[in-house]
Amino acid sequence: MPPTDKADLLQGTLDMLILKVVSMGPVHGYAISLRIRQISREVLHVQQGSLYPALHRLEKRGWLTAEWGESENGRQAKFYQLSAKGRRQLTAEEASWNRLSEAVALILQTAEQQA
Amino acid sequence: MRERRVSGAGRDEELDREIAFHIDEMTRANVAGGMSPEEARRQAQLEFGGREQVKQEMREVHTSQAMESARFNLRAALRFLRRSPSFSAAVILILAIGIGADSAVFSAMDAVVLQPLDYPHANRLVALYQHDSKHQNGNTFVAPVRLEDWNRLSSTFTAISGYYTDDMSETSGSLPERVKLALVAPRFLQVLEVAPMLGRDFTAREEHFGGPEAVLISYAFWQSHFHGDPNAIGQKLHVGSFSFSIVGVMPESFAFPDGDVELWTPSPPDAPYAQDRNETWFQAIGRMKPGITIGQAQADLALVQQRLGRQFPDPDADLTVKSEPLKETVIGAIQGSLWMLYGSVTLLLLIACSNIAALLLARTADREHEISIRFSLGGSRRAIVIHLLSEVLALTLAGSLLGLGIAAAAAHEFHLLAKTLPRAQEISLNWRIVAYSLACAVATALACGLIPALRGTRRPLAHSLAQSSRTQASARSRLQWLLVGVQVMLAVTLLTGAGLLLRSLQNLDRVSPGFDASHVLTFQITGSWSETSDMAALQRRIDTTLDALRAIPGVEHAATATFLPGVPAKYQVQFSVDGEQDPNRKILADLRVVSQGYFQTMQIPLLTGRTCRAGSPTSDMVVNRSFAALYFGDSPEVGHVLTQITDTPGPIEGRVVGVAGNDREEGMNTLPVPTIYLCLSAGGPFSYYLVRTHGAPLTMADAIRRRIHQLEPNRSVYGISTLQEHLSDASFNGRLRTILLSLFAVSAVVLACLGLYGTLSYLGRMRQREVGVRLALGAPRGQILRGFLLQGIRVACVGCVAGLLLSLFADQLLKGMLYGVSTVDPSTYLGVLGLILLVAAASSLLPAWRAARTEPTQILRQE
Repeated sequence: MPPTDKADLLQGTLDMLILKVVSMGPVHGYAISLRIRQISREVLHVQQGSLYPALHRLEKRGWLTAEWGESENGRQAKFYQLSAKGRRQLTAEEASWNRLSEAVALILQTAEQQA
Repeated sequence: MRERRVSGAGRDEELDREIAFHIDEMTRANVAGGMSPEEARRQAQLEFGGREQVKQEMREVHTSQAMESARFNLRAALRFLRRSPSFSAAVILILAIGIGADSAVFSAMDAVVLQPLDYPHANRLVALYQHDSKHQNGNTFVAPVRLEDWNRLSSTFTAISGYYTDDMSETSGSLPERVKLALVAPRFLQVLEVAPMLGRDFTAREEHFGGPEAVLISYAFWQSHFHGDPNAIGQKLHVGSFSFSIVGVMPESFAFPDGDVELWTPSPPDAPYAQDRNETWFQAIGRMKPGITIGQAQADLALVQQRLGRQFPDPDADLTVKSEPLKETVIGAIQGSLWMLYGSVTLLLLIACSNIAALLLARTADREHEISIRFSLGGSRRAIVIHLLSEVLALTLAGSLLGLGIAAAAAHEFHLLAKTLPRAQEISLNWRIVAYSLACAVATALACGLIPALRGTRRPLAHSLAQSSRTQASARSRLQWLLVGVQVMLAVTLLTGAGLLLRSLQNLDRVSPGFDASHVLTFQITGSWSETSDMAALQRRIDTTLDALRAIPGVEHAATATFLPGVPAKYQVQFSVDGEQDPNRKILADLRVVSQGYFQTMQIPLLTGRTCRAGSPTSDMVVNRSFAALYFGDSPEVGHVLTQITDTPGPIEGRVVGVAGNDREEGMNTLPVPTIYLCLSAGGPFSYYLVRTHGAPLTMADAIRRRIHQLEPNRSVYGISTLQEHLSDASFNGRLRTILLSLFAVSAVVLACLGLYGTLSYLGRMRQREVGVRLALGAPRGQILRGFLLQGIRVACVGCVAGLLLSLFADQLLKGMLYGVSTVDPSTYLGVLGLILLVAAASSLLPAWRAARTEPTQILRQE
């Protein structure tokens, strides 16, 4: 798949996606990038250059907690986990995202009908 | 494993591990997809992208906002310093001197006055005195039996002890050597809570009469006599007629009662000769129980003494108890001088601050443009003020670091003053001084940076990019002039203080002491208080020594005296004349015990009668002119019998045989008081020997030492020095404080002049255009020059008047340090006024002249 086909993430969406993936259970950075790719059916590719600063930013804000642990194949990896604060944040972001995407979809449909 | 709080280096490693894991996993995935391991890794690294860049971004997430802006401000501040090196250097230098001098004086203040003595819980240590309310003889020492009573009966002390010192000869070596011995009451080390470094404290048996003779030795004695050999414990020392076993070595820092004491040995309170309640031996010291105030302790001891007064009416009923913190007795009168110096050096720092504030004010004006750009770029006023302040802070920090160098050098100098400055050895450059100096840096940064920063960032000013800044300039120059005025005021205050001290010194140098201190050698010979039990023998020993001294070629006269003439010491006694006691007229006089030959040695003129004579059957007395004039009136002086009024047995009595001229026996700064000289060569076992020599006194020292050794091989000569040296030692503190204050005052005046010069120069530049126009319109240059000059002098005048008013109060601090001049001496004040106006005019002249030399055509062309 050529890189130009990858959807650009909206500013602020990455944080929400990370929170969502992490909410499913403790996970390390590599797995987060894999999951995002898999779940989006290869549409969303997160650049490592954005992923890691974002993870650390979320950790610093207290939405994620991090802990070193053993990976599936027995290596030391840094696992991220959602904090209570992060869970609240995720709920809020999901709600606002749904509102936004509904609104956008509405506009697109309406505009189509009128055209 | 949790790694929440990690240091910078640890964090970097963690980031690395996290990234490495990711790349490894990608490599594995690639290999699983069928790539060769090398290719898999290459692809993974390629896909991950700029590893360093990612790390940097992650790092930035963790650096806090405050840190970031602090680093930014610091970088900007350093850039600012580099951009104007001469300005920065000048400011740093001024601050280094200001903060350095302040830290240096503070280090002395801290060690001498503020810090507790170097004993555990030293604030619980007190010195105790007994006062004889009836006899007022000034003797405050305590009898051994009474000391034991106090210790037993008091409830507020953990222990009370005491000590006195004796000079003895130590005869273990080939030549006898003088040692200073402290004879201590039981519980001495228990009171001080100090343990011997080696060996042990005295046992109870050693503190009792007839017990083993034990001695503790000082660290210095241990080093010089045993080269630090631990086997010194148990060895014998022969001191005087005693033979002591060494039981312990005291720690190096232990210096009580003073640093000269080399040996400590018990003075048993149960000795038969110690049972008389009239004996006064010990300087008493006590350790209060925890939580007891000195007032409670004093009240407790007063009750104890009342009880003793009922039990032993004579003499205890007349005795009262006084106490003071032990520290007070150790540091004594130096406290006043130190506070005065600390105050004045802080004034100097204030002057430096206002000086720099004025400089910065001018600079912020030059940066108006820069500041307004910052505002227009959205900088908040707070951020800009912080930015400006951090520039100043960089300057003051650099200044305080340099200043610490000055303080360190000063600490070294203070150590050389150990002879006259108590606790001098404890002065050092420690973290307290460093902290103080850094605090000074922050305080000065605020003091000199805040006003310019606030003023420079006033919104209306900053927003008026286009507006000509003339009106603001005049407001700013008003503030600048105010600062210059303050500098002049403080400089005047310091200068009047220094002037008064200098006048006192001058007066003292002009004083004729009434005796001739040149060509007089002084020394002491070891003895012991125990010799006073046989006064006749002591008398014979001293007379023999004096005769031997007089026979040495080059010696003109020799005598002994209990006190050195001109070195402050006072022993006031009440007398009756011819047995008559007038209750309305106390006859008080200073008593000085001198041998035959004293008046010749000191060249004190004899006015009537004769001087002391050897072998006179009665006790002879010579009085001075003041005494004769005050108490004898018109009656002939010779023949009166003077008797000491006292209840103690054996009052001093003698017949007046002559009248001598007045002299300043009690110190150069003390007018002659009525004085009685008792003719007795043995005033005590430690009399001073005074020898008038033909040539330079110190060249005779060796001959004298050899002759004494021939005569008395078991005694040693110590403290050989000229009388003049004693006199200059006695006035040393006064001189030092005068020199230091003068130094501060001169620096203050220089700073104030620099401030005046700088402000006027700045003003000249600001008004260049105006001056150009005026000159072009035909104004004479002289008028311009006069205008500027008068402006400078006017401010100096106002500063002077304010400074003199301030001096009226500030100089009250000098009371007691002055001689022959009042704290409001008009001629000193006028002199200061004249001097300040002169230097103010001089430092205004150059900028005024420069302003008047403006070339109008050049200025107008610039427009």
